[in-house]
Amino acid sequence: MSTLATLLLQRLRRDRLQLVIWIFGIALLALFSVSAVEKTYGDPAGRASILQLAVANPSILMLRGTPEGGGLDQFVFFEIFTFIAVLAGLMNTFLAVRHSRAEEESGRAELLAATPAGRTLPSVATIIYGALVNVAIGTFVALAFIAGGLDPKGSFIAGCATAAVGLTFLAVGLFAAQLMRTSRGANGVAAAAVTGAYVIRGIGDALATPAADHLNMTPAWWSWVSPIGWGQQTLAFDANNLTPLLLNLALTAALLALVFVLQGQRDSGASLLSGRLGRVDARSTLSTSLALAWRLQWPTVVGWCVGGALGGLLTGTLANAVSGAATADPTVEKVMASLIPGGKGSLVQLFISAIFVMVGVLAAACATQVIIRMRQEEVSGTAEQVLATRVSRVRWLVGYFTVGTASIVLVLLSGAVASALSALAVGDTSARVGDSFAAATAQLPAALLYLSALALVFVALPAWTVGLGWTLLGLGTVFGLFGGLVGMPEWLRNLSPFTHSPVPIGTSTDWSGGIWMLCIAVVVALAATATMTRRELNTA
Amino acid sequence: MNTVIEAHGLEKHYGRVRALDGLELSVDAGEVHGFLGPNGAGKSTTIRVLLGLARADGGSATVFGQNPWTDAVELHKRIAYVPGDVSLWPNLSGGEAIDLLSRLRGGTNDKKAYTERKARLIEAFQLDPSKKGRSYSKGNRQKVALITAFASPADLYILDEPTSGLDPLMEGVFNQEIRRLASEGSTVLLSSHILSEVEQLCDRVTIIRAGKMVESGTLAELRHLTRTEVSFARNGLTDADIARIPSIHDVALDNGRARFTVDSDKITSLLPVLTELNVKGLRIAPPSLEELFLRHYGDELNPAEASLVPHASRKARRREAAQEASLR
Repeated sequence: MSTLATLLLQRLRRDRLQLVIWIFGIALLALFSVSAVEKTYGDPAGRASILQLAVANPSILMLRGTPEGGGLDQFVFFEIFTFIAVLAGLMNTFLAVRHSRAEEESGRAELLAATPAGRTLPSVATIIYGALVNVAIGTFVALAFIAGGLDPKGSFIAGCATAAVGLTFLAVGLFAAQLMRTSRGANGVAAAAVTGAYVIRGIGDALATPAADHLNMTPAWWSWVSPIGWGQQTLAFDANNLTPLLLNLALTAALLALVFVLQGQRDSGASLLSGRLGRVDARSTLSTSLALAWRLQWPTVVGWCVGGALGGLLTGTLANAVSGAATADPTVEKVMASLIPGGKGSLVQLFISAIFVMVGVLAAACATQVIIRMRQEEVSGTAEQVLATRVSRVRWLVGYFTVGTASIVLVLLSGAVASALSALAVGDTSARVGDSFAAATAQLPAALLYLSALALVFVALPAWTVGLGWTLLGLGTVFGLFGGLVGMPEWLRNLSPFTHSPVPIGTSTDWSGGIWMLCIAVVVALAATATMTRRELNTA
Repeated sequence: MNTVIEAHGLEKHYGRVRALDGLELSVDAGEVHGFLGPNGAGKSTTIRVLLGLARADGGSATVFGQNPWTDAVELHKRIAYVPGDVSLWPNLSGGEAIDLLSRLRGGTNDKKAYTERKARLIEAFQLDPSKKGRSYSKGNRQKVALITAFASPADLYILDEPTSGLDPLMEGVFNQEIRRLASEGSTVLLSSHILSEVEQLCDRVTIIRAGKMVESGTLAELRHLTRTEVSFARNGLTDADIARIPSIHDVALDNGRARFTVDSDKITSLLPVLTELNVKGLRIAPPSLEELFLRHYGDELNPAEASLVPHASRKARRREAAQEASLR
């Protein structure tokens, strides 16, 4: 067997489970959305009226994309393609970094580079492997749409668009791996690029000009500088135009060329942005395990806070547009209400809540990373050195608990402050400031529940921490936030903590869900702490 | 209390693997105690139990008369630890890691003296403390852990293979520091798989294998273990010439070279004879621990391994067994 084939098989074997989950997850999302659209917006008249609303509402355009016609197929593409593209993008950046920078950082790449595989062949293998994975994603997305009864040709185009966007972000991930010294840094840069591509096309779509029939829109130029935007511009199921994907391929080729140039120049393990020297002595504040946990985690917390603030800005600036759209047509209110389980109250309050549920997910994700960091400390052996000092196991755990709680509060707070400030900036001094803080507070219990539940997993089933942490968060997000949109059954949606977050609507708010979750979080946290006294260090 | 570490019948299982299988260990106050065994013998597991990072499944262990699992924090005030495989925080500099761990140990209360000790050790070990943890080599990471351990006073130093990444020059610095600690009356448990390192530093030695103690005593008591291998070119010497050399064991004569072993304390009495024979290409080497294990504990190896034990040494082993019996 040739060296290249060996490398390819090694990658496939390493990722086999992850790949299946990602590919089928994305394909299932496509299939689900077809059935949900059929169920909810089955008749053409209903679709037309909802599209006319969307055309008038920049926030929907920003989140989803631009409508391209009133047919069922076109509606599905409008509703789900940008989400599919983001997922495919993230899958590819993680894949790229996992097989490049992470390998170098761990030293495994050096082992391989010393064999006849050399320094370049592993990268070639990763690219071929990534390309094959994207072909598979494209195929399964197309098959899912066809299985849902959509036009085969359009399904094929949609599959191609997904694969092309994925391929571009594979190259972005590999490029980030050349820039950054650590896999953590490379993953951060690459995921930020995916988010950036989504936001930039969101701005372009929000600024789109509607056609005369109010069922089509021409996006602003912003949408043409985003790889996800190019995928949208294939107008699958409508114009079925593959040419915009040439832009994806061109960017991919350019980035890959850069990757090989950079890799040819540098030493194994080095990076374009090299590490700086550190302090000779520690700051006097770095003297407890809590201070250490904060020191290790604060850059990540800042990142999530920026995300929270962006969410907050969205509510502040778009709430007016939403309220305007609602005055124009009452069905907007119905759509918004479907986003929030059991939601009543003014449209603006619902809109703020809808956005803050997402900020809540960010806060929970930030907390998840804090617990995962604790696990990484344990596995890498640095925790062993800390626990060999006069720091007890419980105090060590409580330190991370504290950092986790603080990071949740900070992410929600930055969302609330940004939301309030942007509301004030557009001259809205009314209750919007209070609504923002209430909506942020409402998300606290669900995020705390995630923190303490994962801490219990860490104590009881340490080896599961990373896998279960992200899985629980992912499932909770899908069930709680998108369950309503794609028509999941009630009991499934009720499994997600986010479903039970209170929806602040003034004085009549039902806070009971939040209070219950808070109580459960406290009990779980106490259980984790109690179990920690009897737990040994587990590095396996 | 004169005994610092006391372990009886210590057991630890990881799934079906018996990492510790009735281990005995006793370390007296003020001694430098060598803890020897091949890789995977259970040295690190023992140390983890002694530090309260792992809980024993059977038997008992005390450190300073206290239970390491329940009184871990209390005990850690008196213990400095260097792990076998030192990992550092990738984004903290070496200097930061030293300060942080020293503070967590409570060793920086005498601020000025601590700063001086730290500066002296950084100088002695030639460490650049401003580099980030991720850019240190294995040897440099080990230096960070050693400096941390030596920068704050402790009653007991537990060092897990502390020199495995150091160059000979730094080993010299390390040996000096250990002698300093010993002269100050501290107790040191030094795990290693290198016999010569332990010979240089330790008062007493415990040898373990497969989670059990196989030997323990002073170096003098274990002298029979440290038999030196001598070899030289035959260069026309007859078998009879070689047979004249006194008190040699395990003689093996092949075409090119003559090989045999000698009790290490008898090696000087051998030299006049070798001079007289005018031997060429003389090589005198201390035995490796692996050879020792093969020679002395070959019975416990599995049959495939046991067949590798040279025939000549079987006899020696029987002699050894008799000698051991007389020691007890």
